[in-house]
Amino acid sequence: MSKSSDLIQGTLDLLILNTISLQPQHGWAIAKRIQQVSGDVLQVSQGALYPALHRLEQQGWIKADWRVTESGRDAKYYALTRAGRTQLQKELAQWDRLSNAVGLVIRMGAVQ
Amino acid sequence: MKRLLDIFLLRVRSLAGRTQVERELDRELSFHLDQLTEENIARGMSPSDARAGAKRSLGGVSQIQESCRDMRRTNHIETLWNDLRYAIRTLGRTPGFTIVIVLTLALSIGANSAIFSVIQGVLLRPLPFAQPDRLVRVYFQSDSQPKFPLNPNDFRDFRERTRTFESLAAMTRHDVQLSGSSADPVMLRGFLVTAGYFGTLGLKPARGRDFTTGDEMAERGRLAILSDRLWRSRFSADPNILGHTITLNTETFTIVGVMPPGAQHPGNTFQAVADGDTVDLWMPFFLYEYPDDRGSHYLDTFGRLKRGATQADASADLSSVLQQLIKEHTGRGWRIYTIPLYQETVGRSKRMLLVLFAAVGLLLLIACVNAANLLLARSSARVREIAVRSALGAARGRIVRQLLTESLVIAVAGAALGTLLAYGGVRVLVSFLPADFPRASAIRLDSTVFAFTLLVAILTGLLFGLVPALTASRTDLQNSLRESGRSTTGSTSQLRLRNLLVIGETGLACVLLIAAGLMLHSFVNLLRADPGFEPQQVLTASLSLPYQRYREVPRRVAFYKQLIANLEALPGVQYAGAGTDLPWTGYDGNADGYKIEGRSDEYNDKTTSRYHVATSDYFRALGIPLVGGRFFDGREDRDGPYVIIVNETMANRYWPGESAVGKRISFRSRPQEKDWMQIIGIVRDVKDEPNSISNHPAFWMPHSQQTERNLFIAMRSSSDPSMLANQFRVAVRQLDPELAVADLRTMNQISSTALSIQRFSLFLVGLFALLALVLATFGMYGVISYSVNQRMHEFGLRMALGARPSDLLRLILGQGLTLSILGTAAGLLCAAALTKVLGSLLYGVGATDPVTFSAVALLALATTTLACYLPARRAADADPMHSLRAE
Repeated sequence: MSKSSDLIQGTLDLLILNTISLQPQHGWAIAKRIQQVSGDVLQVSQGALYPALHRLEQQGWIKADWRVTESGRDAKYYALTRAGRTQLQKELAQWDRLSNAVGLVIRMGAVQ
Repeated sequence: MKRLLDIFLLRVRSLAGRTQVERELDRELSFHLDQLTEENIARGMSPSDARAGAKRSLGGVSQIQESCRDMRRTNHIETLWNDLRYAIRTLGRTPGFTIVIVLTLALSIGANSAIFSVIQGVLLRPLPFAQPDRLVRVYFQSDSQPKFPLNPNDFRDFRERTRTFESLAAMTRHDVQLSGSSADPVMLRGFLVTAGYFGTLGLKPARGRDFTTGDEMAERGRLAILSDRLWRSRFSADPNILGHTITLNTETFTIVGVMPPGAQHPGNTFQAVADGDTVDLWMPFFLYEYPDDRGSHYLDTFGRLKRGATQADASADLSSVLQQLIKEHTGRGWRIYTIPLYQETVGRSKRMLLVLFAAVGLLLLIACVNAANLLLARSSARVREIAVRSALGAARGRIVRQLLTESLVIAVAGAALGTLLAYGGVRVLVSFLPADFPRASAIRLDSTVFAFTLLVAILTGLLFGLVPALTASRTDLQNSLRESGRSTTGSTSQLRLRNLLVIGETGLACVLLIAAGLMLHSFVNLLRADPGFEPQQVLTASLSLPYQRYREVPRRVAFYKQLIANLEALPGVQYAGAGTDLPWTGYDGNADGYKIEGRSDEYNDKTTSRYHVATSDYFRALGIPLVGGRFFDGREDRDGPYVIIVNETMANRYWPGESAVGKRISFRSRPQEKDWMQIIGIVRDVKDEPNSISNHPAFWMPHSQQTERNLFIAMRSSSDPSMLANQFRVAVRQLDPELAVADLRTMNQISSTALSIQRFSLFLVGLFALLALVLATFGMYGVISYSVNQRMHEFGLRMALGARPSDLLRLILGQGLTLSILGTAAGLLCAAALTKVLGSLLYGVGATDPVTFSAVALLALATTTLACYLPARRAADADPMHSLRAE
């Protein structure tokens, strides 16, 4: 019941993987970053974020460790594993295919 | 790979370090909360508002925690653990129910494991030879002989000319007497084998060497390879045994090898010895001893196919060699017959084992139906519990899962107990198996059997648990809660389901009962059938005169003549005789293509008969009656005129409508006057085996005219025949102290052994059928008893309105009878379709024998109706006031 998300199923994984692909981040920062980058369009609810992080971790795509933040607090940082990086490539390619396809269909519809 | 390992470690950590993980999750979420709060403060909220707002936007922390746990996939395991504990607690609360259901399952799962271990050992386990699927048996075949051993010279030609076999090998039985050591002389089971015999099987001596083709020449002297068993038991595992000599049949043999333990005999057909660790020693076969003989057939032959060659290739290859041989020598109508060694070994027992497996499978199915029925009954008693649980938010799947866990716990408990039963049961089974049952030594409980048992347990648990679980979880919440525990009339759909289960159970039980009934009927037929001889009060034994000391024919004749005379002089002995065969122990001697006086060559080419030798009182000792002419009188002269005794089948086949006595046959193709053998007597037929469908023609020659060294002795006693054993030994020792007595047994033992396969399968199928009937009766009792309980109120009303107890009795019995009639009818129909598979296990009874079918129908109806009687009586005897008030 807490999985309500405006995001297409599976897209959240892609966003998370992509967000931490540059550098490890903690949960809060991941959510913030997605929100900022998308210009407040994509808002990741905590109820979706943390289960997703745990799932990705269980699948071995990301790994977590505890670090100290700039403000001096303990936070759980997530980073991509090697398998996660491959997975990200796969999901990106898939996303491109899907969005292209959707785009094509929509444009065709507009022409008519 | 590494990722899989990581995932595994993560799962383990999630499960084992649960508190640690939970604590981390708390810290992670509280960090998030703090960040939110700080953000809110930065927006200008007061710290307390900021905190409250943050909590609001974070949502339900426990929900997030729960989803995270779900994501870690450990929930399943925790739920399972909880379900297990709950299941065990619930089952413990109803010990009666639990014990009944676990015991019935244990019995049927145990029976399944035991029978499966026999199947695994006999049918599934590969033969104990290298690449056994490339081993093929080779026989000759003719119109009258389906499987005939090979002649040594033919064998040698096949070995030289074959293109499809990597190697061909042959063996023939040659039991020998070991003497010379301090102990009494003993008969050893020996085989003469060609070079390459062991290699073809993929066996190698553990010590010493294998036989070579050079050893097939008699000039090399006599050699022997010992079995590991003989080496240990008789030669105390002497490590320096190689090169030593032993005395076999009073001749000197040099030991050149010792086989490793488990070097098994592949089984043979001519003078058959069962497969397994059954041979004591092997000696080389002198392949060049009789260069001109193409008529004697006694070599059991097998070969190892070349890689890629098929049985059909082999058959074609050998057939073309056979055509060449027929051209080169005057051959007769032989064909080649090949059969894979595996099929040859297990062929006879396969059907019986599969029938047993099917029977025990049916039993398990019945036990499942029974368990489902019991669970259904129980689930209606648990309606409220389930209703409360779903009212508290348990999803349907969750409830089904809980109930299934319960049935799996029951099934696994049943399987565990059943395995213990099977452990004991297998030993009993093996001890009941006929002595010559193929591969009996390979039967044991092994890991495959355990895996099978576990699989069966899980499948049965699901099978009998699923329907009750689905039904129970479909409970109508409102109704069940509102009725607050008052006994409901039970949902009609559930009652219908239980009725169906009882019908099914009765039907399945009927199928088993009919199978058992047919087998019982056959067995009674076999016991009642006239065997053609009188097995009571007969002691038998076998003797083998060593060639070296009994080289001259007169010595052999004199020995047996004197022995028989001495035996008949004993006070307890009525008749004593000797012959080449005993009834029901298998026959090997066959004469084909003999001449009948006055018939065409074409007719004579197709003659066939069993070929025996006997002394004069052989027939009287075995109680084989004379139907015409006379027995041998002991005065038959070695040089003729030759006489024979024939059996009824031979007399009727070749001299139909006239008396065979006085007619003559001959083995010679151009018989002189002295070559004719005249029929002086006709004896009653004796079947090859108790369940043989037809008899084979047979004749006997007097021992004084056709002398054998190895004969069976039969003594008819005036009292208990086993008392004669010692006197017999003494009588033999008086004549020849170095002679071993073997195979001492009574004719009753022989006839009992001949029926052991039938007795064994009848016993097991009967046992399974009995269990099935008991289970079906329980099932019927349960259903009727339950429905009576539900309807007590209604019955009270009926009584109050004037129904008499007998009306109620009739009503309830009628209900039960309807179920059992339906079940029995279904069972009879299925049985009619299925019993054909019993095939050769039946004797003198059709697969749809009306007597058996109606008897079983009556039995099933009677027992199941009886099962209804108790609850019906209870309803009829109840005080209507009491039943009405109880509501």
